[in-house]
Amino acid sequence: MSPRTKKIRLIQRRPSFAGFRPYGNQKPGACEVALNFEEYEAIKLCDYELLTHSEASAMMNISRPTFTRIYESARRKIAKAFVEGSTICIEGGKSVVNTHWQECQTCKISFSVTEKNPHVCPLCQTPVLEELEIQ
Amino acid sequence: MKIAFALSENHHRSYIDDHFGRCNWYGVYDTDTKKAQYLENPNRYAEEGAGCTSVDYLMEYGIQAIVAGRFGSRVVELLKKKNIQMIIPEGTKTMEEIIKLYKN
Ligand SMILES: [Zn+2]
Repeated sequence: MSPRTKKIRLIQRRPSFAGFRPYGNQKPGACEVALNFEEYEAIKLCDYELLTHSEASAMMNISRPTFTRIYESARRKIAKAFVEGSTICIEGGKSVVNTHWQECQTCKISFSVTEKNPHVCPLCQTPVLEELEIQ
Repeated sequence: MKIAFALSENHHRSYIDDHFGRCNWYGVYDTDTKKAQYLENPNRYAEEGAGCTSVDYLMEYGIQAIVAGRFGSRVVELLKKKNIQMIIPEGTKTMEEIIKLYKN
């Protein structure tokens, strides 16, 4: 059997939060369900943006079977957390943020980088020094 | 530069809408003349593709940047292709608050 090379999955943007916590019967302990970024993206594309699996897999630059596998895994993890009242952490995986976003700390905005002015805030025109982490 | 805003209402104190494709209004602000015009979103009840249709609609007004709470993945791809900048404010802001941050 040939070794499987894991293809990099493209995601649009990382969520601006780190996860979810149930309330009412919070068990102690850290991260119980770890949802990776590509699983988050798969749910977002299919169930929030209502793309078909075929459109979503093209968006993430992966095959349909791979997409389906990621999507199923995401649903099972969410169902587990939902039923068992677990905390969900969104972290890790093997993905690349397909759109280059930068932040201006002064204006408190994120902006996409364009060819014209890649490193300047479009509002206050201040050069942005710190690049967003790209994984 | 002309900046488009996804808005809930048709005035400059309106909050920036979270959904670029499904907002009620677009505000188009010209940073040179400092004037704004408000356009009703013709695609807000569209079954699908509201975002991409709105991009084409706003392109006719010569916009170079769009401010919204979030952009759908198809819209992101389209705007990158068209070299239009996307701006996402942190938290809830009004169009006026964003315009005040603009410097020439
Ligand atoms: Zn700025």
